[in-house]
Amino acid sequence: MRTKILTTLGVVALAGVASYWTAAGVPVAAADAGPQMTSIGPLTFGPDGVLFAADTQAATIYALELGDKANGGAAGTRGVDAIDQKIAALLGTDAKEIIVTDLVVHPRTKNAYISVMRGQGTASKPALLRVDGAGKIEVVSFENLKHTKVTLPNAPNAGTNPQRDPRQQSITDMAFSDGRLYIAGLSNEEFASKLRSVKYPFATADNGTSVEIFHGNHGQLETRSPVYAFLPYSINNTPHLVAAYLCTPLVKFPVATLQPGTKVVGTTIAELGNRNRPIDMVLYKKDGREFLLMSNTSRGVMKIPTDGFASATPITQPVKTETGGIAYETVAAMKGIEQLDLLDGSRTLALSRSDAGLNLVAVALP
Amino acid sequence: MSAQRRSAFRIQAAAAAVLLAAACSRPAPRSNPEIILVQHPTNPAASYVAVKGIGSETAQALKRLQPGAEEWSRVFTVRVLGTDNAANPTPIAGKYGVDGDSVRFTPLFPLDPGRKYQARYEGAEFLSGESSQLAEAIVALPAAAAAEPVHVTGIFPSSDRVPENQLRFYIHFSGPMGRRGSLEHVSLLDDRGKAVVDPFLPVDGELWNADRTRYTVFFDPGRQKRGILPNREMGFSLAAGHKYTLLIDREWVDGNGNPLRESYRKSFLVDAPDLAPLDPKGWKITPPHEGSRDPVSVIFPEPLDHGLLMRAIGVRRNDAPVVGDVRVDSNETRWTMTPNEPWRSGDYALIALGVLEDLAGNRIGRPFEVVSKDDKGEDDAAINAVPFSLLPPR
Repeated sequence: MRTKILTTLGVVALAGVASYWTAAGVPVAAADAGPQMTSIGPLTFGPDGVLFAADTQAATIYALELGDKANGGAAGTRGVDAIDQKIAALLGTDAKEIIVTDLVVHPRTKNAYISVMRGQGTASKPALLRVDGAGKIEVVSFENLKHTKVTLPNAPNAGTNPQRDPRQQSITDMAFSDGRLYIAGLSNEEFASKLRSVKYPFATADNGTSVEIFHGNHGQLETRSPVYAFLPYSINNTPHLVAAYLCTPLVKFPVATLQPGTKVVGTTIAELGNRNRPIDMVLYKKDGREFLLMSNTSRGVMKIPTDGFASATPITQPVKTETGGIAYETVAAMKGIEQLDLLDGSRTLALSRSDAGLNLVAVALP
Repeated sequence: MSAQRRSAFRIQAAAAAVLLAAACSRPAPRSNPEIILVQHPTNPAASYVAVKGIGSETAQALKRLQPGAEEWSRVFTVRVLGTDNAANPTPIAGKYGVDGDSVRFTPLFPLDPGRKYQARYEGAEFLSGESSQLAEAIVALPAAAAAEPVHVTGIFPSSDRVPENQLRFYIHFSGPMGRRGSLEHVSLLDDRGKAVVDPFLPVDGELWNADRTRYTVFFDPGRQKRGILPNREMGFSLAAGHKYTLLIDREWVDGNGNPLRESYRKSFLVDAPDLAPLDPKGWKITPPHEGSRDPVSVIFPEPLDHGLLMRAIGVRRNDAPVVGDVRVDSNETRWTMTPNEPWRSGDYALIALGVLEDLAGNRIGRPFEVVSKDDKGEDDAAINAVPFSLLPPR
């Protein structure tokens, strides 16, 4: 549910490592004024319809309590052609001036929420939109929107140089599971892919240290490859995270191993092909089987059966064929997908790019 | 804002309001509305479009009934005007209010300078029973003054030699850059001028500083690590002994929507890969004189990462940070700090945090290519201290 980078990739499978630590920011409850977001990137829904929205520019996660703002529209989401142009018009500008950064579906109303940056340069502003079952698009006003927030801890600094620190933390994906929000990110200086977690409600912040996550698919340990998409997944009743990396290993980590101060080796269960980057992944069931649906920059949308996730033979040696491990099929009907989420039990909701622009489409699950 | 100031910044509609004849079935209109655009002198978000002269009964009805968004959209709308001068069917989202005999529309997002908008007042007879002439106008804020196009001011590492496993470049700009597709404007050319295929790491949200004046581009680490599949199949993105050029194309759009002033090229020669961890034992510290404000300087045997040098090295006196002006020069092989206050006697140490890296991502005691299963992982905040003593006062 993140922005597609249009560049395709030209390398084969890469092992990945992320650091994991618990967020140590100070949560601030703010009930009176709305969230003062400087940017808006990845979105994910939490319990009771709380919408987590990442302000990547400020390294801050907002928990937006949508309350009544989640009600009032027709249930569901109807597809909207050229939705980028309609959103731009609603925001008083041209489609060239907006960038869609994420799409998620409200778990109860099934309305779509779309995050957008309006404008260029430092004057760019964040916007959140809702699309309902009648195809009506509304701006979700931040004014007086009840929220809490947590700011990710500052990077270490030697304390000698008072000049403004240009270091920033980009947030690439988020997922909520079992009372914790997991946040993947990458710094613009040190090459360290980070996976963080923070308890929600943000009443108490944890003071964890970093944990590195390894997966050993190349015969040597790999460090610091960024996680591009991940989701919580239970394997044999044990909570896991399933994560996808560049070019395109699929890796599982038991959540219980993600403890501060330890090193975690993940297990590569599939190599999904080179010159590719994962964008989004969702889980669904069909005909009694469960599947992972994953959108990619250059290898289309993959349908991956999950029944082999528990027993898959770990990939520990270089894959000499194009792909390896758990097999997948490419969903030919889904092309140009830039954002993806599950709409209901039978459909996925996607933003797909066509010559006419960006279309919001509901597609039957394959 | 005072009435005088507001008046000073009031902008009449860019085109004369077009008064449309009321439908034949309506009674004679009793109001003669006029559309104006009012620009706040300093706060673009406070600018608004108003229609005044709507008639007292209508104003009172609107105040009393407090219409919802749907009803307001039947009364007064502002829409983006396309290049074909057709108004977009979708009205702009914003807030409505009634002030005297005026309706005020404040868009949720400031109107774009120079963009044309159609404002249309339809009347509120369905609410007030008071008929009105229709009013329509094209309004626009003045276009922003032509801005000087942004240009590339420099690229780090600044040396014209880099290791084969070079990890990143920082591209610095003279002003804020735009938000659309950065990596597509950065290419790596080999010594025959041919573009290297996919050398860089694509990242969601992209890696900018807060001002959007520094862009970080990482080489794809899969290509930069020996032995793993991407590297074995395709090799390093860079090959030792060859010359390359990093090309920044002019089409990259800045924060004002302009292309760069010019394209930019940085050529460099590639040396053998750097596989060694950093070792502070090889750093040469030149201590300052006690009582002076002379800089302390450190010379490294190899260039270190520019971004990290600015924050991951410091000086401590009796374990407290000494604050000063930090400079990095000599192709990132020298770090100097001029203290804000004269040096006082005490226990001094140069400290380097664990996060410090060289051009290839090697850290103190930990190479980028970690192969040991006994490796304990990264500790970004680890403090590596190199004690030094002040020279005697002059």
